Amino acid sequence: MIRIALRSLWSRKLRTALTLLAIVLGVAMISGTYVLTDQINNGFDEIFKKSYQGTDVEITRKSVFSGGNFYGPGGTLPESLLTQVKATPGVGEAEGVVGGSGAVIIDGKPVTTGGAPTLVYSTAAERFSQSEYISGAPPAQSGQVSINHKLADDENLKVGDHIGLTTARGVEDVVISGVFNFGDSASLGGATIVQTTLADAQAWYDLEGQLSSIMAAAGSGVTPDELAARLEKTLPAYTSVKTGQQTAEEASQAISDALGSVLTPALLAFGGVAILVGAFIIFNAFSITVAQRLREFAMLRSLGASRRQVLLTVLGEALLMGVFASVLGLLAGLGVARGINALFKAVGADIPTAGAALAPRTIVVALAVGIGVAVLAAMAPALRATRVPPVAALQEGAVLPPSFVARFGSYFAAAIAVLAVLALTRGLFASDPTNLRLLFLGLGVIGIFVAVAMVSKYVVRPVAGAIGWPLERVARVSGRLARENSARNPARTAATAAALMIGLAVVVFVAVFAQGLKASFVDAVDRSVNAEFVISGQNGGTMPAAALDAARGVFTVEDAAGVYASQAEVDKNGLASAGGVNPASFGPLWFFDWLRGGSDELLSRLAGNNALIEEQFALKYKLKPGDSFTAVGSTGEKATFKVLGEYRDPVLITGFVIPLTTFQRLFPTTQQDPLYILVSSDGNEAQVKGQIETALKPFPTAEVRTKAEFNDMMKKQVNQILMLLYALLAVSVIISIFGIVNTLVLSVYERTREIGMLRAIGTTRRQMRRIVRYESVITAIIGGVLGTVLGVIFAYVVTTRLAAQGITFSVPWLQLVAFLIVAVVVGVLAAVLPARRAANLNILEAIHYE
Amino acid sequence: MDDALKTEEQRVAPETGDAGPETRGPEGDGDRVVVARELTRRYGSGDAAVDALRGASVDLLRGQFTAVMGPSGSGKSTLMHILAGLDEATSGEVWIDGVKITGMSDRELTQLRREKVGFIFQQFNLLPMLTGEENVTLPLEIAGRKPDQAWMARLIDAVGLADRKSHRPAEMSGGQQQRVAVARALISRPAVVFADEPTGNLDSKTSDEVLALLRQSADEFGQTIVMVTHDPHAATIADRILFLQDGVIVLDRGKMGRDEIYDIVKSLESDGRASGGGGGAR
Repeated sequence: MIRIALRSLWSRKLRTALTLLAIVLGVAMISGTYVLTDQINNGFDEIFKKSYQGTDVEITRKSVFSGGNFYGPGGTLPESLLTQVKATPGVGEAEGVVGGSGAVIIDGKPVTTGGAPTLVYSTAAERFSQSEYISGAPPAQSGQVSINHKLADDENLKVGDHIGLTTARGVEDVVISGVFNFGDSASLGGATIVQTTLADAQAWYDLEGQLSSIMAAAGSGVTPDELAARLEKTLPAYTSVKTGQQTAEEASQAISDALGSVLTPALLAFGGVAILVGAFIIFNAFSITVAQRLREFAMLRSLGASRRQVLLTVLGEALLMGVFASVLGLLAGLGVARGINALFKAVGADIPTAGAALAPRTIVVALAVGIGVAVLAAMAPALRATRVPPVAALQEGAVLPPSFVARFGSYFAAAIAVLAVLALTRGLFASDPTNLRLLFLGLGVIGIFVAVAMVSKYVVRPVAGAIGWPLERVARVSGRLARENSARNPARTAATAAALMIGLAVVVFVAVFAQGLKASFVDAVDRSVNAEFVISGQNGGTMPAAALDAARGVFTVEDAAGVYASQAEVDKNGLASAGGVNPASFGPLWFFDWLRGGSDELLSRLAGNNALIEEQFALKYKLKPGDSFTAVGSTGEKATFKVLGEYRDPVLITGFVIPLTTFQRLFPTTQQDPLYILVSSDGNEAQVKGQIETALKPFPTAEVRTKAEFNDMMKKQVNQILMLLYALLAVSVIISIFGIVNTLVLSVYERTREIGMLRAIGTTRRQMRRIVRYESVITAIIGGVLGTVLGVIFAYVVTTRLAAQGITFSVPWLQLVAFLIVAVVVGVLAAVLPARRAANLNILEAIHYE
Repeated sequence: MDDALKTEEQRVAPETGDAGPETRGPEGDGDRVVVARELTRRYGSGDAAVDALRGASVDLLRGQFTAVMGPSGSGKSTLMHILAGLDEATSGEVWIDGVKITGMSDRELTQLRREKVGFIFQQFNLLPMLTGEENVTLPLEIAGRKPDQAWMARLIDAVGLADRKSHRPAEMSGGQQQRVAVARALISRPAVVFADEPTGNLDSKTSDEVLALLRQSADEFGQTIVMVTHDPHAATIADRILFLQDGVIVLDRGKMGRDEIYDIVKSLESDGRASGGGGGAR
C-alpha cells in the first residue's frame, strides 16, 4: 500500500509540492529556533570556555544570586586577599583584576556596539586574559589601553592612536598600546574589550584597594579541584572559590536558562502558529484529494481492500509527506536560524553564535512535529475515505458520504468552542503556574481557531456575496462566477480561508496589543514624569554617577534627580527590581499614582528602611502598607523593609522604591550608577537641552531628551520589537498563500471540463484568469476579515486582563485596514499560477476530460 | 403486454422459485456459484419510495457466462450490486460459493471480495500510477498474497498484453486498459466475476476483443461471469441471458442471437413505457 501512496504522490507532483511547503516552513521555523538557540548557547559556551582556559581557580565575592553581569557579580574583594591567595600552597600563579563596563569614544561619540557589551578590565598575564598581541603590548602605564582586534579593525585604530573611554568617572583620554586577539578570534562574541592597567581600572571605577576577582593557576602536581578545595578552606567566608571550568559552565548554564525561559518559547510559539496554519492546509489538501479520488478508493474496496487498508493508503501518503517535509524543514531550519539572527542584528541585538549544529533533540522534535501534524491533519479526510462504499466504483457521479464531523459540525464546533473558552478562562484567570497557564491559553486559542474554521463555512456565502457585489460591478460575468465558485463548496473555502485567518489573527493580535502597550508607555511617561528632560544611558544602560552633578550644574536647570535601579531577592522568592531615589530631589519631579489612599506626603517619610511598593509587586508578595518584606542584594547584604505606601507604575519604576542612602548600602558600588536622570527647567526647551548636552560632554553615553522625545523613543522601541514580530509572523501568512494556491489548483483541476465549456462558449483567457483571481481574493478576504475580528477579540480579552499592568485596549484602525489590503494582495498573488493554468487549458481536451 | 413474454415469465418464475432440479438447500451443491432468493430492494421511504427489485430469484452455475439485460431502471444494476455484496437487499438472501453473504459485516464482505469476487468496470478503473502488470496483481497485493507466476503468465498471455505489461494506463488504448482490468478480475481466481457494462466505453472493434476475452475466460478457465449490459451484441456471447423489467426477472433464456435479443429488449422497453415505467434506481 505504501507503494501506491508513493506513486500517487508522485503522480500529483505540483499539489504534493505545495502541500509539502506548508509543512516544510513550519518545521523549518521550529528547527530554526532550536538551531539558533543552540548556536547562541555554543557561542557563549565557547566564549566562557576560552575565557577561563588558563584559569584554574577564580575567586570572587560570594553572591546570593547572579545579577547576569558578564564580568561576574557586582561585589569586590579587598586587594590584600591576593597576597593570601599567592601564599596558599599549590598556587602557582595568581593575579587580581578589576573590571567594569564602559564605552569607547571616538571623536566625541560612543562607538555603537549593536547591543554587545564593551568590557573594560585590567590586564593580566596571557594565561588569564587569553590575549594574544598582534601588535604593540599590554598597557604598562597609566593612560594606556589595549584593544581587541575587531574594534581596531572596525574603527581603523592602531597603536599610538588616542581614544576616549567612559568609566564611572567620565571620559578618560587614553592611548592605544596594543591590539590583541582573543585566543585566535578577533572578538569575543561581538563584545568590545579594552584592557587597562590595574591602577587605572581601580581609579576609574572607584575601586581603589579592591579587586573584582582573583584568578589563580595551580602549581605543578596540583589539580584545579584540589587547589579550589585548599583555597576554599583558607579564604574568608565571603569569598566564592570556583574552578575555571565550573565558572565557565555556570555562566553558560545561566545563558542557556535565560534563552530557555524566554527566547526559545517565544520563537517556538511562532513556529507553532506556522505549524497550525500548515495543519489546516494539509487537512484541506487531503479533503479535496480524497473527494477527487472517490472512485479510486471505491475500486480498491471492491478489489478487496479493507477499510483499514484505505485508511493506511491515505495516512501513508501523509506519513511520506510528513517525513519528506520534516527532513527538508530540518535542513531549511539552518537557513531560518540565520534569518532570525539577521533579524536580531537588524534590530540591534548582536548575539554571539557558533557552530551550525543539528542537535539530536532538534532532529527528533522536527521529525515528530512534521510527521505528527501531517498524519493528524490527514486523519479526518482519511477516515472519510474509508467510508466510501465499494459500489461507488460502479456508479456515475457518486459523492462522498458526508463526514461524521460535517453532519454534526455545528455541535462539534460549539463543543470545541466551549472547551476552548474554558481553557482560555483558566489560562487567563486561574492561579496556575505560568507554564500551565500558557498551555491552557495555547490550547484555548487553537480550539477557538478550529471552532471558527468549522462554523465559518456558514458565513462563506453571505461574505462571498458581499465581497462579490463590487467585483460584479467591475466585471459582470467573472465577478458573478467567482462569487458562485467560492460559495460552491463553502467548507473548502472556509478551511482555505482559515489558514490565512490564523496567521492574520495573530498579526492583528500583536498589532492591537502593541498599540495598547505603546499607549501605556506613552501614558506612563506622561503621567509620571514631572520633569522637562529625561537623561538616559545608551542602549538602556546606566550612566556615570557624576553625570547627575554635571546636569545639576547647568545654571538654567532648576533641579535634577537620579533614578537608580538594581535587583534584589525578595522574601526568598524570586527577584524583583529595586529602585533607589532621593525623596527630596526626586519627589517634585515625579507623579506617583498612589493607591490605597497614599499621597506625596509619604515621600517625606521615605527614609531608612521604609519602602514604597508597586501594585504588581504588592500582588506578587501579598503586601499592603504596614507589612514588612526582606530584600537581599546580590552580594548578600540583607535588609527588612516596612511598606509605607503603594503606587501604580507598570513601566518605568517597577518593584519597590527605597531611599537612595539605603539603596547604596544594600547594593555593591558597581551597581550604583543612575538609570535615568530627571531634569526640570523653566527655560527655553531647545536652549536648555543644548546647555545640558554641553555639560554632559564628558559623559557621551548619557543621552538627553525632552519629555516628548523620551516618549517617542519608548514608542520606537515598541515599534522595533513589533517589526521583529511581524517578520516572524510573515512566515505563517506566506504558508497560507501556499494553502490558497493549493486549493485553487485543485479546484481548477476539478473543474477542467467546466472551464473547457466556458472557454468553448467564448470566455477569453483574460476573463478566465479573472474568475480564478477573484475567487482567490474572496477567499483571502474572508480569511482576512475573520482573522482581524478574532485578533481584535483576543487582544481585547488579553488587554483587559492585563489592564492592571497598564496595558490599554486600543485599536489601530489604520493598521487593520493595511492588513486587509495585505489579505487582498495575498489573494492576488496566490491566484497567479492557478489562473494561468485555468486560462491555458486546451479547450478540446478540457471538454473531454473525466 | 406481449402474450408470448407473459407466458415466458410464468414459465420462468416457478423454476427459479424452486431450488432447482435437485432438492438440496439453496446453499449450493458445488455447481451453483451464486444463489439468490426473493430479493427485493427499496430505496427511500414513504411516498418517495422506489422499488428497484421486487422479488428476484436466480441460480448461477459454475462456468456459466450470464448476461443481465433490461431497460434502464429495470433493476439490473441493483441486482448485480446485491449479488456482489456491494448493496444490501431489503429482503431476500444471497449465497456465493455456498456462503450466505446476506447480513455479512464489512469485514466479512471485504474478505469475500478478496477471495470470491472479481469486478470489471465500465470505466476500467485502473490506477493511473501503476503499470499494467502492477494493476493486474493489485488485488493480490491488497490481500497480502503472492501471485502465482504461472497463472500470471498465462493470464497476461491470454489478454494479449505481454509486450505492454510495463506500460501505464495512460499509454494504453481503451481496449487494452479493459483487458488489463479483465486480467485483474481473474488474477485471484474468484468464484464469480461481475462485469458492469464492460464494453460501454469501447468502440465496436475493441468491444469484440474484450468480449472474446471474457468468452475465453469462461471456456478455458471455467470462470463464472455475470455481465450487466444494454448492448444486444455483447449479450450474444453469453450462455444465458436474464431479462429484467420493473425489478423482476421476466425472462431467463439460453444463448440467443443478436436480433432476437434486440426484439425482446425493444418490447420490454415499449412495455415499460406503456405501463409508466418501474423503479428508477441505478
